[in-house]
Amino acid sequence: MGKLRNLKWFVLFSALALVFAFAIAGCQEKPAEPTTPEEAATDEPVADEAAGPIKIGLAAPMSGDAAAYGEIIRNGAMMKIDEINEAGGINGRMLELVVGDERCDPKEAAAVAQNFASNEDIIAVLGHVCSSATLAAIPYYDEAGLPAISPTATNVEVGRSSEYMFRNVFTDDFQGRFMAKYAKEVLGVEKVGVFHENNDYAIGLKEAFVAAAEEIGLEVVGVEAYVADTVDFAPQLSKFKELAPDAIFIAGYYQQGGLILAQAETLGLDVQFMGADGLNNPELINIAKDAAEGFMASSPLVYEAAGKEALEFKKAFEEKYGLTPDWMAANAYDAIGMMVVAIEKCGADRAAITECLAGMTTPETGYVGIAGITIFDENGDCSKPVFVSEVKDGEFIAAEKQILD
Amino acid sequence: MFIQQLVNGLTLGGVYALIAVGYTMVYGIIELINFAHGEIYMLGAFLAFTFVTMLNLPFPLAVLLSISCCALFGVILEFIAYRPLRKAPRLAALITAIGASLFLQNVALMIWGGRMKTYPKGTIPEIFKSALFYMGDVKVSLLQYDIISITIFLMFCLHILITQTKIGTAMRACAQDKTTASLMGINVNRVISFTFAVGSGLGAVAGIIVGVYYNAIFPMMGYTAGVKAFAAAVLGGIGNIPGAMFGGFVLGIAESYGAGYLSSGYRDGIAYAIMILVIIFRPSGILGRKTVVKV
Repeated sequence: MGKLRNLKWFVLFSALALVFAFAIAGCQEKPAEPTTPEEAATDEPVADEAAGPIKIGLAAPMSGDAAAYGEIIRNGAMMKIDEINEAGGINGRMLELVVGDERCDPKEAAAVAQNFASNEDIIAVLGHVCSSATLAAIPYYDEAGLPAISPTATNVEVGRSSEYMFRNVFTDDFQGRFMAKYAKEVLGVEKVGVFHENNDYAIGLKEAFVAAAEEIGLEVVGVEAYVADTVDFAPQLSKFKELAPDAIFIAGYYQQGGLILAQAETLGLDVQFMGADGLNNPELINIAKDAAEGFMASSPLVYEAAGKEALEFKKAFEEKYGLTPDWMAANAYDAIGMMVVAIEKCGADRAAITECLAGMTTPETGYVGIAGITIFDENGDCSKPVFVSEVKDGEFIAAEKQILD
Repeated sequence: MFIQQLVNGLTLGGVYALIAVGYTMVYGIIELINFAHGEIYMLGAFLAFTFVTMLNLPFPLAVLLSISCCALFGVILEFIAYRPLRKAPRLAALITAIGASLFLQNVALMIWGGRMKTYPKGTIPEIFKSALFYMGDVKVSLLQYDIISITIFLMFCLHILITQTKIGTAMRACAQDKTTASLMGINVNRVISFTFAVGSGLGAVAGIIVGVYYNAIFPMMGYTAGVKAFAAAVLGGIGNIPGAMFGGFVLGIAESYGAGYLSSGYRDGIAYAIMILVIIFRPSGILGRKTVVKV
């Protein structure tokens, strides 16, 4: 019996070894192919490195709680990449997106960043999405001199801490102050409550909002927090009901935002709800249904107010992916556009792209995309106009009154 | 606000209790902490949602189907992941349970995507949502009332099942001593499968309720709920069914009051702090006895 078993294992092991041997042999055959004379001849002498595709890293949450963001950003980026590739690429070289899934988790983000930094083929990174993840990734990009553009990370620290990190989205500081001002000056709110998630993005936003509220004489009656993944907000909302503010500012993401709006309605808490870019997503209305009516949020982009190109993008995106794009999709699309301009102008390597992006400092050199013009300051931050959008009849539209900060 | 928070807490607690019972039953019978139980709860929510929205089934039918699928799924899970390891050290089974949990999360992510799912308008009977009644300033929705009563009703059924029926007696016998029970002619495997089916079915009920009540279904929902329910089970004395129910309600109410009167950012911290204190000062849980009568 024992012998037989040994024999069985031996056969199994040998079979496995054979399979592996073939697999390895199979893998080795591939790299040998491009050296055929015809292929080598078509190499343009202009390109100093191997004229394969130009690789751009995408560091975003493709799984985990925030996977929805990763999906929309990849789609937005692919829209631009397909556009460029269909038009023949950059100097005949195609663009290729290398996706690194970091789940919006700082630990995973550091691993993805390290991976991108050590991969010489990757010459620029689109990402990261969440502020916490971006902050964790920055040291690796700095060390490798790898330029990155975040389409979405709004925490104040992001720009300051690195010369390789750029972003085409405004800071929390800016939009927090803006929303406090909007509440006081446009909506005539006197007492306000603040509801925020416990993460870098939302805390930054909350602090800016509260600081600005104090400056302009807007009374903050209560500040409540929640953690990611929460679905039950009844205890905090009951507390707000007791405090009776005129408006509640939510700093966080749309999933929780939508649930907060829905549960506030169930509890009979009838106040003006406001939020920032994290809540400015059509999905919010899907989650909150009728309770979303009248909700206001700051946004880097309202398609209807942003011009013809933005609307065309929106239409094409809907046709291609069957999803309504939010502002994140547009920012991802524009971020790739900036990289393309930088590669065309300065060349396809890390240092050249960084230099080119850092040179986009004036309205003349800035990048004009569908979300307006992007001009970087010395931190790699950009100042963009803030729009306020409002939910009406189940859709985000530009709010009636806009203010210029 | 005091009473409003009590209502909030009871609703939350009802959900925890339903999930906790699944944990506690499995632990009672095979001394395994089934970490994949939270994922069964998640699957319950997703299946009911899928049946309603994709197959356009009427809601009650979708609920029944989802519960049956999850019960079956619990049995399959036990058969594939736990049964081969029954004689192995307990740590091995624990690791498999965590593995199964991660596996199911990612499968759900692949099938349904990371987006939060919500029931479209008109797919859930309106009576659940619109009917509300007031007690002074306190607002109670019919659904909140339903959650609490469904929980209590199911617990009552479970109690009858375990104390009054033949299979219940067999479950109690297996919980005390599997070897002796099998010598007495009890098919231990079948009893364990049955336990998984019942526990998973109850988990599915909790998932469906949460899906309808909060109208938020996403692949990671099982994790937090699972950990909370596990805390509830420990709080009440793991292996003890009334304890799990009691623990669920205590945890829900503690969370609501903690968030309402102390700082809301520490809400989960408060819940877990209570659990730690209970474990330190009363390791067998609030309702647990020194010699725990399991299941």
